[in-house]
Amino acid sequence: MATTALEHELKEMIIETLELEDVTPDDIDPEEPLFVDGLGLDSIDALELGLALQKRYGITLESEAESSRQHFANLRSLAALVESRRQK
Amino acid sequence: MADLYLHDWRGWTPHRVADGELRLDTRDKPAGTAVPSMLRRRLNLIGRAVCDMLSDLDPDADSVVLHASRHGDGERTLEMLYGLNEGEPLSPARFGLSVHNAIAGVYSIASGNRRSQQAIAASGGEWAALIAETRGYLADTHSSVVVVFSDQPVPRRFAAYAPESHSAAVALRIGHGPTPDARRLSETSVTMKTPTLQPLDIIDWLMDKRADVACPISHRGWQLANVRP
Repeated sequence: MATTALEHELKEMIIETLELEDVTPDDIDPEEPLFVDGLGLDSIDALELGLALQKRYGITLESEAESSRQHFANLRSLAALVESRRQK
Repeated sequence: MADLYLHDWRGWTPHRVADGELRLDTRDKPAGTAVPSMLRRRLNLIGRAVCDMLSDLDPDADSVVLHASRHGDGERTLEMLYGLNEGEPLSPARFGLSVHNAIAGVYSIASGNRRSQQAIAASGGEWAALIAETRGYLADTHSSVVVVFSDQPVPRRFAAYAPESHSAAVALRIGHGPTPDARRLSETSVTMKTPTLQPLDIIDWLMDKRADVACPISHRGWQLANVRP
């Protein structure tokens, strides 16, 4: 499945924000998990990513909510979150 | 006071020429290959160098590690404080890595070393503190410990308040008994006023570019001598 412009933007944001020095946008499969398996991000990355979403798109997430876990499942779900809740 | 023995060492600094000394890494950017890339990305240059050196000196990940740094990651810490003052949110990753024991912690996670990891700041008396702590661990059943001394330049806006310093890190395995290539590390009392010891001074000393080192705060001095003729 092709990557949308927003997904590509999010890939670049993830790489830059999380300082993934050995990762390129092509390495991030939109359907693969972002955390643990797949890209291998950890809980500090989740906090960092939440901060980046707040700064760039004005999206505030509830840290304990189960919905946050679903939003962060993979790049595609993250893009859907940004699409539906972006303030800027 | 009982002599100690220097079993081996590693150093990193881009501010010296290795001159054939394989234990000194002079690259601008240390490889950091001892740490998986997902952990390495959060380390600064000093952190990369220290983890590589520890991997060499502690291959079984079973040594007590003492890490001293006068200022730690001053750049990251102070920038966060200035950001907070301006109402900016804190970066969780940068906050986590700004603490003084961050590098030892990352090394512990990467290597699986579950021994004591101690972080020290001693207002310029770091080397003397490392030796004092080493004596304590050696007296407490350990046959050797790995000590690390690292520092980087103080952030520009605070540079006027601290001696000029260069990025450097040095790691030494020190024990209470000799090994085949060990050098005796003897300690004496000194009264002469000398500049505060920095990691680069220890590297010069290990490379025999100076005969001894001394700490003006503790009034102690140290010399190295070959054990075998």
